[in-house]
Amino acid sequence: MKTTRWLTAGVLCAALGLTACGGSDNGGGGDAVAVEQIGAGGAAKNCTGKPVTGGTLVYSRGSETQSLDPITLRNGNGDIFATELVYQGLVRSDPTGKTQDLVGGVAEKLDVSDDGKTYTFTLRDGIKFGNGDPVTAEDVKFTLDRFGDPKINQVMSVVAGGYGSSKVVDDKTVEVKLKEPVASFLYNISIFPAFIVPKKAVEADEKAFFKKPYGTGPYMVDEFVRGSHVTFVRNPHYWEDGKPYLDKIRFNFASDSNSRMLAVKNGQAQIADGVPFSQINALNGDQKLSLQKAEVPLFVGMWMNHQRKELADKNVRQAMQHALNREQINQGIFRGVGTIPNSILPALKYDAPADQVPPYAYDVNKAKELMAKSGFPDGFSTTLQYPAGYDYYKQLGLLIQQQFGAIGIKVKLVEQESAEVTDRFNKSDYDLTFPYAQFTSDVVVPDEYATFVANSPDIDNFFTHWDSGEIGDMVAKFTTTPDEAERAKLWPEIQKAMLDESPVINVMNVPYVNVHGKDVCGTSINALGADHLEDSWMASQTAAKP
Amino acid sequence: MLGYLLHRLALAVVVLFGLAVATFLIMHLVPGDPVQQTLGSRATPESIAFAREQLGLDDSLLAQFWAFVSNAVTGDLGYSLTLNAPVAEVVGQRVEPSALLIGYALLVSVVVGIPLAVIAAWRPNGVVDHAIRLLTTFAFAMPAFWVGLMLALVFGLGLKWFPVSGYETGIGGMLRTLTLPAITLGLTLSTIVARTLRSSLIEVLKSEYVEAATSRGLSPRRVMVKHAMRNAIMPTLTVLSVNLGLLIGYSIVVEAVFQIPGLGSLLLQSVQRRDYEIVQAIALIAGTAVVAISLATDLVQASIDPRVRLGR
Repeated sequence: MKTTRWLTAGVLCAALGLTACGGSDNGGGGDAVAVEQIGAGGAAKNCTGKPVTGGTLVYSRGSETQSLDPITLRNGNGDIFATELVYQGLVRSDPTGKTQDLVGGVAEKLDVSDDGKTYTFTLRDGIKFGNGDPVTAEDVKFTLDRFGDPKINQVMSVVAGGYGSSKVVDDKTVEVKLKEPVASFLYNISIFPAFIVPKKAVEADEKAFFKKPYGTGPYMVDEFVRGSHVTFVRNPHYWEDGKPYLDKIRFNFASDSNSRMLAVKNGQAQIADGVPFSQINALNGDQKLSLQKAEVPLFVGMWMNHQRKELADKNVRQAMQHALNREQINQGIFRGVGTIPNSILPALKYDAPADQVPPYAYDVNKAKELMAKSGFPDGFSTTLQYPAGYDYYKQLGLLIQQQFGAIGIKVKLVEQESAEVTDRFNKSDYDLTFPYAQFTSDVVVPDEYATFVANSPDIDNFFTHWDSGEIGDMVAKFTTTPDEAERAKLWPEIQKAMLDESPVINVMNVPYVNVHGKDVCGTSINALGADHLEDSWMASQTAAKP
Repeated sequence: MLGYLLHRLALAVVVLFGLAVATFLIMHLVPGDPVQQTLGSRATPESIAFAREQLGLDDSLLAQFWAFVSNAVTGDLGYSLTLNAPVAEVVGQRVEPSALLIGYALLVSVVVGIPLAVIAAWRPNGVVDHAIRLLTTFAFAMPAFWVGLMLALVFGLGLKWFPVSGYETGIGGMLRTLTLPAITLGLTLSTIVARTLRSSLIEVLKSEYVEAATSRGLSPRRVMVKHAMRNAIMPTLTVLSVNLGLLIGYSIVVEAVFQIPGLGSLLLQSVQRRDYEIVQAIALIAGTAVVAISLATDLVQASIDPRVRLGR
């Protein structure tokens, strides 16, 4: 048995001694520092001292929290970011966001068997839930069994694939058996559906517990008013010394982006998420505010239906890639904060940088040559569906219509309500589509998306009907290879092959853009975009305290 | 009078049943699967099948409608998949902010609309009358979301008299957080009030009994308030009750701009997510409110004016 061990908050990969895991070693394009202050304001200048305790932070959030039960996700990031404050998994995504690696969470030691099918977790010494009860192996087994049950874990049952069973070895040790090796298993259990919940309280009255839940995270829910706000108070039993700093956090739900920006300008809120790209320049000029951009696996994915003979033609798809003027799209729509992708998927761990896997260059002549070589030298007509009522899809559709038009592809734009776009996508009733208004990966490793697109016959390779051939086999090998170093070698080959085939098109990698007052310090965001407010503090509290 | 009341009540039941059928059919016929919407792309077919079974979505449309109606009659509005909570609980929490907002907006529309109408009717086709008509045309044409944002910019961000968004309970909290939204919402209706009342006032002021009152030497103010207004306000009351539906519709936008956790924002979200149960419940509540108010208006008129209840 291969024994691996790590200490409090130590980086898992470093402790594992895996060279391919660290920041520079894998050379991953997406592995750079995830959070960057942009704009004239820059980083808050008051934040140079040591963190101080106290204060209330009001966060104006575009996505409402609808469920505080991490396994019954109901509203994407609205739920995820709230549960990230309250609970933790056995392992966690690096909370600083500086790497895409995993660090210890509820567990502080891990053994993995050589066949990659048995994981033995040792719980952190003295770790407690918010109510003071110790976390036991029973709680972990209870949580993971919920995770593995598709009737309970309805929303994320895909990431629980391969889970077998859990066994309580002793009070602090749990042994997890997988049905087959799942290389991304630790990443899969680092996210919300596997967040550790207290067995006793959930079994006693599940509905009541999840109205005002607590876990091992830095905060506990104090009040949850649907459609309005959720407030959190400090977890007095939190295990990281001195954290969290803030006494109280309040998420105000504000679906309207103008209302959110007004709330921050007015001082009614100290942070707001989802800054509309169209307002970046205006907010940049405000000296009282800081804009913050976080690279996350969010992308503008344009899906193609290979049942249409034109789109099944590789020359046509490559021509489309070359016909896209991404620089113009980035400047015109995303105000320059987007990143030109060198993958058909969002930026993920193990991605090779652009000098190894170059992105498609904007080259109309090359695109025309490819069209001439294709089965459709005279061009063709097609449709592009996109969701109505979102920031940028309409403008983007118009630019794409114009850019594809230049190589003889006539695009008819079809604007629909987002539920209908998704519905038609699920029924393969589309030519080109932007199927989801927010298209993100749930995990930082490519296993989820690569499997969806290249190795999922039951959903027709994510409704593309793409004949993935050899690439499907490469993905299958990648997702079942437990060795990190080996995976880091396998992925760039897949990334390159997929980009060459271009079964779908990644138009742009897009960051999350937040805005916060100069008083707010330590706004870390992990590689998945979740705020780690246990690190946040208010500079104004320094003055308030001697 | 009793016969009239029974007749109107029977009609109200038919209207509400029709509304329930229409809402049910529209929600079920538009494309978009509720389970797919809620569970998303990371759910396995097994999970989706289980959720569909839980919700009874595999039953026939008729069976689903029957289940909805028979439960609704007993007060059971069902369980919301998208919010993972009983519909009655979710909807119940959202009634108060919406009802207060709409009540406050009605008040604003009356307080703004009636004086404008009186001033305009004082000298029909005078300069003031034209100015008011121009103003109300502008006010009516301005979209509510824009008016709301402008009010938030000026009175929230600029003057800091009110918060830019949010909702607080209690009298003070309500005045702080609902004033700007109520003005936004009430402004549209006040233009309707002003214009309806103006034309009926002008009509009434021309009638013989007003002439008689004036020739008896009553002051113009007394003629207007005591004599003309009483008769002229009737059509305005009808217009107000008819436009309650309009107000409910606009409240969806206003609630979104000011982040008020009311029924409007819940309705919008539930339509987008295809939450059949919640949409049906809100449609029923809003429909009942409109029917009840128009019934009450009719009854008030019938008790005052015999022509109404005798159907002449």
